[in-house]
Amino acid sequence: MTRSKNTAFWQGVAAMLPLAIACIPWGILTGALAIQVGFTPIQAQVMSLLVFAGAAQLSGLTMHAAGAGFMPILGSTFVISSRHLLYSLTFRKHVDGMSAPMRWTMAFVLTDEMFAVSEADTRRYGVFCPTYALSSGFTFWFLWGVSTAIGIFAGEHINNLDDLGLDFAIAATFIAMTFTELRRFPVFATMLASGAASVLLKPFLPDSHILLASLLGMAIGYWLHKADASQSEAASQGTEI
Amino acid sequence: MMVWVLIGLMACVTYANRLVFLLESIKTMPSERFNVFLSYSSYAVLTAIWAPIVLQLDLDKGFELAGNDYVIAASVAAILTVLRLPSILVVLISIGLFGTIRFLL
Repeated sequence: MTRSKNTAFWQGVAAMLPLAIACIPWGILTGALAIQVGFTPIQAQVMSLLVFAGAAQLSGLTMHAAGAGFMPILGSTFVISSRHLLYSLTFRKHVDGMSAPMRWTMAFVLTDEMFAVSEADTRRYGVFCPTYALSSGFTFWFLWGVSTAIGIFAGEHINNLDDLGLDFAIAATFIAMTFTELRRFPVFATMLASGAASVLLKPFLPDSHILLASLLGMAIGYWLHKADASQSEAASQGTEI
Repeated sequence: MMVWVLIGLMACVTYANRLVFLLESIKTMPSERFNVFLSYSSYAVLTAIWAPIVLQLDLDKGFELAGNDYVIAASVAAILTVLRLPSILVVLISIGLFGTIRFLL
């Protein structure tokens, strides 16, 4: 399947909208919290536009308010955002042959959400589309910035954001993106292991449960993939004889 | 001033994590075997993100579901996806169901 850049651009924007809207409450919370802990509105806004990582920002702000020094805050930022190393590794083959500015721009918007929609698109079309990745990535960046701004200026007037259950939209979108391949046994096992590990580890390792659970799931997927491959190899050799 | 420095350093950390393997100066490409490992990354990471939204483990109270609305709507989303409904429909239907259970029932 081929498509024009224009089509890919708008598909990327559209695919990102449900996720970006689901994250608006967190953006508002981040903006409001930054003001509460003493950031100026400009600082709060710039933080979202440059750091661009919800969980890391919330943790950093909370630690800053509690009087933590730079090193603990940066250490926690690193641990929370270290799963992006996996995204970066996975994107390595996609950016091969691209110019340096393109790589740096791509990296800037390489979030959970962009990785999710872009990998789903790559599976659907069989080829990575930079236009799609960038348009979905910057859609998310833009709405993250806007929702932070809402939090900065109206945070104290908005109540009960948590009660809306907007995080369900994230769960629904990620389920729709991953359950498509559930019939492949290694994928099924990967998801089961990673989901169970994440639920169990979260209370003990609130900063790193996602990364650790993912690595476990990937290891199991890899192992079963290998077993699958060698089995079908043995089977095909059997028919030759 | 300290706040600006903190914002700058945090931005460097998050950006570095995203950029490091995209840099041209990192010559080594992942091997074929490593690519197999990485091909499971999106399934693993996305599941690790959504599972604790729907299922929560509270150390004091034991295992606890986030609420029937989450579990029912998430199960419906999963079933519809396995039945190969287009993902946009899966998302819209399950969010609609979630909202109905949470706010109307």
